[in-house]
Amino acid sequence: MTDTNFEIRADSLSKRFNKTLLFKGLSFSIKTGNSLSLTGPNGSGKSTLMQILAYIQKPTRGSVTFFQNEKKLEENDINRYIGFTSPLLNPYEELTGYENIYFVLRNKKDEAKILPLMEEFLLIKHKDKSLKYYSSGMKQRLKFICAVINDPPILFFDEPGTNLDRKGKDLIYSYIESVKKEKIIVIATNEEEEIRLCREDIKIAQ
Amino acid sequence: MLSEIFRNLRKDFRVEFRNRAAINISIAFAGITTLAISLTAGGVSFSPRVQSIMLWIIMFFSAMNGLAHIFIREEEERTSLFLRLNSSLESVFLSKLLFNFIFFLILQVVICPLYIFFLQVDVKSPLLFLLILVSGGIAISSSTTILGAMVSKAGGKGSLFTVISFPILLPVLWIAITSTTDALEKRASAGFGNTLFFLAFSGVIISISFLLFKYIWVE
Repeated sequence: MTDTNFEIRADSLSKRFNKTLLFKGLSFSIKTGNSLSLTGPNGSGKSTLMQILAYIQKPTRGSVTFFQNEKKLEENDINRYIGFTSPLLNPYEELTGYENIYFVLRNKKDEAKILPLMEEFLLIKHKDKSLKYYSSGMKQRLKFICAVINDPPILFFDEPGTNLDRKGKDLIYSYIESVKKEKIIVIATNEEEEIRLCREDIKIAQ
Repeated sequence: MLSEIFRNLRKDFRVEFRNRAAINISIAFAGITTLAISLTAGGVSFSPRVQSIMLWIIMFFSAMNGLAHIFIREEEERTSLFLRLNSSLESVFLSKLLFNFIFFLILQVVICPLYIFFLQVDVKSPLLFLLILVSGGIAISSSTTILGAMVSKAGGKGSLFTVISFPILLPVLWIAITSTTDALEKRASAGFGNTLFFLAFSGVIISISFLLFKYIWVE
């Protein structure tokens, strides 16, 4: 268990796209050691809610606040504390897998962490290949490595099992299982296995 | 932040040189236009004023494709979220700005010798000529960086960028042409003052762009 505790507080979140109301009045909080799944039918706003939580989108109403040991974090600093994967996230196709991970690495002294993680997620043989030649499953695993390489205390995964075969899913799920007690984990999904990884669930009705 | 700026800059050059689209097209455009003008001129010697006008028009239109590309590419290839999550907004803006400075400088290095050679331009004040090229390049690339960010978010392509850039860059082009004419004719008095104008113009544009960038690129 880490000494630093983080908390995300969502207060009366609403999101509207033109005339379509995705969700309204969502309030909840999540602390280090807890994991949350966001479930709901397609188009219900799971990914949007996750992006609002990660400060990628702004809510129409309401607010999201991050705390570190009860101290409010500045919006500009949030990126340092989060890891994020999503089907919307695209690494650079012209760069190799290794170069993409190196780009994401905040502390370049941690470069030695790249190869073991690529080995763990079965990408070591492809480390010098441009992403143009990666399959969609390989890209998904690479995005996962990019999200976790800096060991952030808060992890957001939007459909983490997308495009993965059984082996790939097992790798990712066992990684999430191994770190979930020391981090905040939020997963947007409708996959039973991914929902079971989380302690709490928010169902977004359409 | 400095290390983040250089990391982003290194990444942009790597991506550009592996893709080569913008840089190659711009250099090819510059080379072909210079050759086309020199061939169609058929040995006619132009006045220094006309030579300056043609030089800056070639540089302006050659650069337009590449200067906007650095932001448009992030949107077209949907990598902007990846960049945003892994870089501060300040470092994104400053690295793209530096990229555009260097890109414009590369274009000038290609265009100017070709232009001087083919059109037999006699530069009477090389120092002023060089200063005007560099400071004018800084002014153009600093204005076009923020415009590139705006166009990329508007879902626009290079042609929209050229259209919106032109009125903003008109005073820069006007002064650059006048000062280049001075350099060709060795009338240095106003020319050196104009380099200061370009630097001041760039300073103001960069400061405003730096403050507005968050609202343009994120919100």
